[in-house]
Amino acid sequence: MTETGQFGRTTLPPEQQRAIRSAVRWEIFTIVYTSITIAVIALVVGESQAMRTAWIEDMLSLIPQFAFLAALLFVRRRPTRKHPYGLHRAMGIGHLVAGVALLAVGLNLAIEAVTGLIAAEHPTIGTVQLFGQTLWLGWLMVAVMAVVIVGPVFFYGPAKSKLAPVLHNKLLYADADMAKADWQTTVASIVGVLGVGVGLWWLDGAAALFISLGIIWDGFRNTRTAVVDLMDQRARTYDSKEPHPLAADIVSYLRSRPWVAQAAVRMRDQGQVFHIEAFVVPHRGKVKVTDLSAAAERIADIDWKMQDVVVIPVEQLPEEADTGR
Amino acid sequence: MLSLSGCGLAVPADPDGTLETVSGGELRVGTAPDGDLVRIEDGEPTGSIVDLVDGFASRIHAETDWTVASEETLVSMLEDGDLDLVAGGITSETPWVDKAGVTRGYRGIEGADGREIVMLVPLGENAFLSSLERFLDEEVGG
Repeated sequence: MTETGQFGRTTLPPEQQRAIRSAVRWEIFTIVYTSITIAVIALVVGESQAMRTAWIEDMLSLIPQFAFLAALLFVRRRPTRKHPYGLHRAMGIGHLVAGVALLAVGLNLAIEAVTGLIAAEHPTIGTVQLFGQTLWLGWLMVAVMAVVIVGPVFFYGPAKSKLAPVLHNKLLYADADMAKADWQTTVASIVGVLGVGVGLWWLDGAAALFISLGIIWDGFRNTRTAVVDLMDQRARTYDSKEPHPLAADIVSYLRSRPWVAQAAVRMRDQGQVFHIEAFVVPHRGKVKVTDLSAAAERIADIDWKMQDVVVIPVEQLPEEADTGR
Repeated sequence: MLSLSGCGLAVPADPDGTLETVSGGELRVGTAPDGDLVRIEDGEPTGSIVDLVDGFASRIHAETDWTVASEETLVSMLEDGDLDLVAGGITSETPWVDKAGVTRGYRGIEGADGREIVMLVPLGENAFLSSLERFLDEEVGG
């Protein structure tokens, strides 16, 4: 067991420390890149609803980055008497805030797109003067969107999705997932603008609607994941696809102890680490406290995510606890 | 202007075909008196804006048909398709952005006293708007 004790382990093994440093660098890179993107799109956004929606999506995509960096400041803090479980939930709260923001703005944008389509608003895209040449602004929009897509799809999206499983960080995973899906937004906005170019005015609104539905879907998924984790569903993998296999590892370790007759575990996700309550039914109804502390220490050693471990002797296993079978 | 001539498509295009309709035909222009930009003498508009619009009309081989009314009436007529263009003492601060397509602002127009003058076209008639802006770029600069 590490020097930080049974609860609130905040030190990370070397692999995770490297991953955290790398994640922070990528988040800062993303913020800088996205800020430049937002500024460049601002120059060409014009009256196109699709461009406006893509532009707002870019602004929204900054929220997860800031949430991650802010949460990181908190999760490093040791538990205290005031916060006996540490501050790991900051990550989940950041996730929830990002999800709700996406959902709210996505709905707003979808309504704007639909009302624009119903009112048959024809988007007006004129020309710009560039180096003495008069150029249709639509071409510039297409060019800008085609260039800015490079960052999320080829650089920081894949990089973050490699780091997310290492750190068991759902916020980072969701962020990477959205970045990788950013090409859909780009393609939609380009289709919308080119549609306007050839006189199909409704393609702009349709593209805007498509993009905003994507934002709503992202918002819904993130909100759902964040809420169920904050409501202490049993710990699942970083992509929330299946129950986390560590629960079964803990139970099988406990069963291998000679003094244990039966074992089960309640394990919840604190955002990046797990809070574990292991229940054991000892043989002959007796157990030594030294065995209990030794077992807790060994469980904490199985994986760096095992944080806050308690082993509780019981007469009978609680029904809700995971027996790993 | 770049165009996708290979596909028989011109970009940008007008959803309602304004440029095609007015070219070689009639350009219906609305205006309101404003200092030296637009003066009304015997019901006929004259002034630097009027000269500019007449110049644009001859570029696209059109005849101008002028309507003189208040700006609000002109914008309603533009929305209803009774006008193709509204020109006068309208600046880039215009509140009509939701009801009309607005050209870029032009400072170099005689009699504008440094105001950035814009013109209004029907919403989304992007070929017409682009051809007007191209003409204004050549005549009065950006």
